[in-house]
Amino acid sequence: MSERLDVLILDDEPIVGKRLKPALAKIGCEVEIFVNSNEALDRINEKEFDIVVTDIRMENIDGLQVLEHVVKKSGRTKVIMLTGYAMMAVAREAMEKGAFDFIAKPFKPDDLRKIIAKAAKALGSPIDFNASDAGND
Amino acid sequence: MENGKQKELRTLEGHYDRIESIEVARKALLDRKRMSMRFLMYLCFSLVFLIALGTAVILIITNSRVEKKLRFLEITNDLTVEISQARRFEKNFFLYGTNLNDALENIYHAKNILDQNRSELKKILGKDEHERIISSIISNINHYEILIDRLIKTEPSQMVSPKFHSTKKEIEAELRKYGREMIAFAQDLMKKERESLRRILSLSRNLHIYSLIFLLIFLMFVAYLFGSRLLSHINRFTTYAQRIASGNFTPITPTRRYRDEFTDLALAINQMTQELEEHEATIVQSHKMRAVGTLTAGVAHELNNPLNNITITAHMLLEDYDTMNKDEHIDMINDVINETDRSKKIISNLLDFARESSSQVESLGLEKLLRDTVDLASNQLKLSGIKISFQTTGNLPRIHGDGQQLQQVFLNLILNAVDASSKGKKIQILLVPADEPNYVAVKVIDTGKGIPEHIIGSIFDPFFTTKGKGKGTGLGLSVSQGIVGKHGGRISVSSREGAGAIFTVILPITTIPDKIMHQQVLL
Amino acid sequence: MSIIIIASDSYKTGREISEKVAEAAGYACMDRELLKSVSEKYNAPEGKLIRALEKPPSFMGLTSKLRNLYLAYIQEVTLSRLLEDNVVCHGLAAHLYILGVSHALKVRILSDPERLISEMTAQENVARKKAINLIKKRKALRKRWSIACFNMDENEPSGYDLVISLSQIEPDEAVKTVVDTVGYRKFKPMTYSIKCLKDKELAGRVRAVLMKNFSDVKVQANGSTVIVETRALKRDKQKKTEAIKKLAGEIKDVGIVEVHVFKDIFRQAVESDR
Repeated sequence: MSERLDVLILDDEPIVGKRLKPALAKIGCEVEIFVNSNEALDRINEKEFDIVVTDIRMENIDGLQVLEHVVKKSGRTKVIMLTGYAMMAVAREAMEKGAFDFIAKPFKPDDLRKIIAKAAKALGSPIDFNASDAGND
Repeated sequence: MENGKQKELRTLEGHYDRIESIEVARKALLDRKRMSMRFLMYLCFSLVFLIALGTAVILIITNSRVEKKLRFLEITNDLTVEISQARRFEKNFFLYGTNLNDALENIYHAKNILDQNRSELKKILGKDEHERIISSIISNINHYEILIDRLIKTEPSQMVSPKFHSTKKEIEAELRKYGREMIAFAQDLMKKERESLRRILSLSRNLHIYSLIFLLIFLMFVAYLFGSRLLSHINRFTTYAQRIASGNFTPITPTRRYRDEFTDLALAINQMTQELEEHEATIVQSHKMRAVGTLTAGVAHELNNPLNNITITAHMLLEDYDTMNKDEHIDMINDVINETDRSKKIISNLLDFARESSSQVESLGLEKLLRDTVDLASNQLKLSGIKISFQTTGNLPRIHGDGQQLQQVFLNLILNAVDASSKGKKIQILLVPADEPNYVAVKVIDTGKGIPEHIIGSIFDPFFTTKGKGKGTGLGLSVSQGIVGKHGGRISVSSREGAGAIFTVILPITTIPDKIMHQQVLL
Repeated sequence: MSIIIIASDSYKTGREISEKVAEAAGYACMDRELLKSVSEKYNAPEGKLIRALEKPPSFMGLTSKLRNLYLAYIQEVTLSRLLEDNVVCHGLAAHLYILGVSHALKVRILSDPERLISEMTAQENVARKKAINLIKKRKALRKRWSIACFNMDENEPSGYDLVISLSQIEPDEAVKTVVDTVGYRKFKPMTYSIKCLKDKELAGRVRAVLMKNFSDVKVQANGSTVIVETRALKRDKQKKTEAIKKLAGEIKDVGIVEVHVFKDIFRQAVESDR
C-alpha cells in the first residue's frame, strides 16, 4: 500500500459522492465530495488533487469547464469524466481537452475503481486494486 | 381506470355532439322551401316568353283594328263617291238639263252601301254614334232622293209653266243644301276615321318601342338577379373554404330563406369537413408522436442518472452489507426506492403526454401547463445544453381549451427553438396579458439563428420545412396553428436573421365556460 | 491505441493507402484476408462473402436473407479483431457498422478520378466514355448496397471524420494526414468507447448465432444485457421468444436477454387472406 491518493468527486447527484466515497476509500483514496461546481473549483484552486472525478452535465459550470480549469492549473492531475449523456462527440471533446478517461453512467463502482487504479499507475503511485476485490467477494 | 373510462365516454360524447351538430346543420339546410336556380331560370324564361306573347297579342289586336278602320274608310269612301256622282248628275241637270235618273241611281247605290254595311258600321262606330251619324246621313239622303224624285216628276209637265222656274230654283237650293250636308257628313266621318287610324298606328308603334324597352329592363334585372345570386354564393363558399383552411370546421348553416343547388354543395362540404377533422386528428396525433420520439432521446439520457445512483448504491450495499449497520442498510435501500420513483416520474411525464386522448375542453391555468411543458422538454434542453427560463406576470385568468393539444403546441415551439439555438443559448418563455384585451399571450423567445426574411411568410404552410430530409415533416407549425386557431387564438412570429425569433401565441380568456364549450362542440 | 477505418471508392486505392497507413503508424492491417477465417469459421464460400460486401441483392445474386447472414458473419469476426486495437481496417464495411465509437477514426479516400478511369478502361477493356459511365453506375450501386444493408449512404461525407481526395493530395500526404489525425487525443480509447465497441462485439456474436435461425432479428447489447427485436405472428410469439432466449443465453458474456416481438403485419395480412 503506497501513499494515499487525493481524489475529488464532483457530481450534482448527491448519491454519487455519498456512495463512491467509501468505495474509493477502500482502495486507499482520500475523497472529497462536492455537488456544486463552483465550490469544487474553489477547492481545486486551494489544493492539488491527484484525481478529479467530475460529472459533465451540471448547472452553471459544466464538467468540461472544470476539466479545462484543472488541466490549466495542474497538468499532473488526472481528470475522469462521468456522464449520463454520453455521446461520441462529447467523449472526443473531453479527451481532446485532456481528460484521462471517460465513463458513461450507469457504471459499477468497480468500473471506476479500475480507472482510478489505472490513473494511479499513470501517476507513478500504483495502488492495490485487489483491496477492493477482497471486499467484493 | 375509472378516470380513463370517463375520459373515453366524454370523448365519445364529444364525437356524437359533433356528428349531431352536422346533422342539425343538415336539417336546417334542408328544412327550407326549395327554390333552385334551375327553377328560377325557368321562371324567368317563362316570364320573358309571356311578355313577348302579350306584346304579340296586343299587336294582333291592333292590326285587326287597323283593318277594320281601313274597311270603314273604304265604305265611307264608296259612299262619298256615290254621293258625289249623284251631285255631279244633279249639277249637269241644272246646267244642261241632262237626265236626273242617273243621280237617282247613285243615291240608290249610296243607300245600298249604307244598308249593306249597316251592321258593320254599327260595330265600328258603336251603337249611339251610329244612330246619330247614320240616321242623319240617311235622313239627308232620303230628303235628297225625295227632292230629285220631285224634280223628275215635275219636269216634263211643268217645263213651260212660269211656276216651274221658281219651283226648280227652290228645289235646287234645297238639293244643294242636302247634297252639301251629305258630303260634309261623309267627309267628316272619313276624317274622324283617319284620325283614329293614325292614333292606332302610333299606339302600335309606341307599343313596339315600349315592349322592347321593358324587355331590355327585365332581362337586365334577370341577369343582375342571377349574377348577384351566383356571385354571392361563390363569395360565401370562398369564405367557407378560407374558414375551413384556417381550421375552423363549423358546419355551414342556412343563410337564405330558400334552398337551392348550393345547398347540396353546402351539405357535401359539411360532410367533407367532418372527414377532414377526423384526418386532422390523425395528423395531430402523429405529429405528437414525433415530438415524443424527439423527447425520448432526452429521457433515455436523463434516466441514466437515477439508474447510476441505483447501480452504485446496490453494488455498495452488496459489497459492504456485513460491515454496515441496519440504519445504513435502510438509508441505502431508501435511496434505491427514491431513485426508482424518480425514474418512474421521468418516464411517466413523457408517457402521459404520449397517451392518445381525444380532445376534451377544460378550464386551464396556462402557468401550470407551461411549467409542465418546460419540464417535459427539460431533458431535451439539458441534452442540447440550452437553458430555459419561464416568467409570468402572474395572476392571469384561466382559459378554456384542450390542455394536451395546447401543450403540444408549446412543446413544438420550444423544440423548434432548441433546434434553432446552439449550445449555451437561452430560451425564454413569457406568459403575459396580450396587447388585445381579453387575450393572454405566450411568447417563446430564442436567440438562435433566426428565420430568414424570405421564408418567414411560409413557415406556417403545411410541409414547409427548413430541416433536412427525414428530419422534419414540415407540419409542426401548421398543426400548431390549426390547434391554436381552434381555440380562437393566433400564432404570430417576428424574427431577425441571426438574432433569434419570437413566436407569440395569443389565446382568448373565457369568462363564460359554457360558451366556449358550446363553440368547441361546433368546431 | 486507436482504430483507423478506411473506406474508398476503389478497393485497390483503399488497400494501398491502408497498408501505407498501417506501416507508418505501426498498426496491424486488416483487410479481406480476414474473409478466409470467416469462411472457415462459418463454412461460407469466400466468393459469396465478397459478393455480399459488394453488390446489392438482386434476382441473380444472393438473396437478401443470405446476404444479411454473410454480412453478420463478417461483422462478427471483424469486430472481435477490432477489440485488439491498433488496427487499420479496410474492405470489411466497418465504416457502416462501427458507429459512435470515439476511438475509431473513419477515413474516406477518394481515388484520383483519372486513375479510376484508366483502371476501369483497362479492367473492362472499354472506351473512356464508357468507363466514366461504368464508374458512375458503380457509385450508384454502392449507394444502393449501403442503404440496403446498413440503411446508410456510404457516399455521404458526413459519415466520416476525414475525407481525402487523391485528385490533388498525393497518397503519401494522405497517409501522413491520417496518421497525424489519429494521433489527436480525441481518438484515444477510453472506458466509454471501449465499452461501446465491446457492446457491438457482443451484439455481433449474438447476431451471427441468431441469424442462422431467424432472418429478421436486430440485436443490441449493453454490458451483458442483450436486446433482440424481431417480428412474429401472435401465436408464434412465445415460442420464438423462448427460442431466442435459449440460443442467445448460451453465448459467452450474455447475461439478460430481452426479446421485443413486433407484430408481423405482413405475414398476418398474407395469412388472413387464406
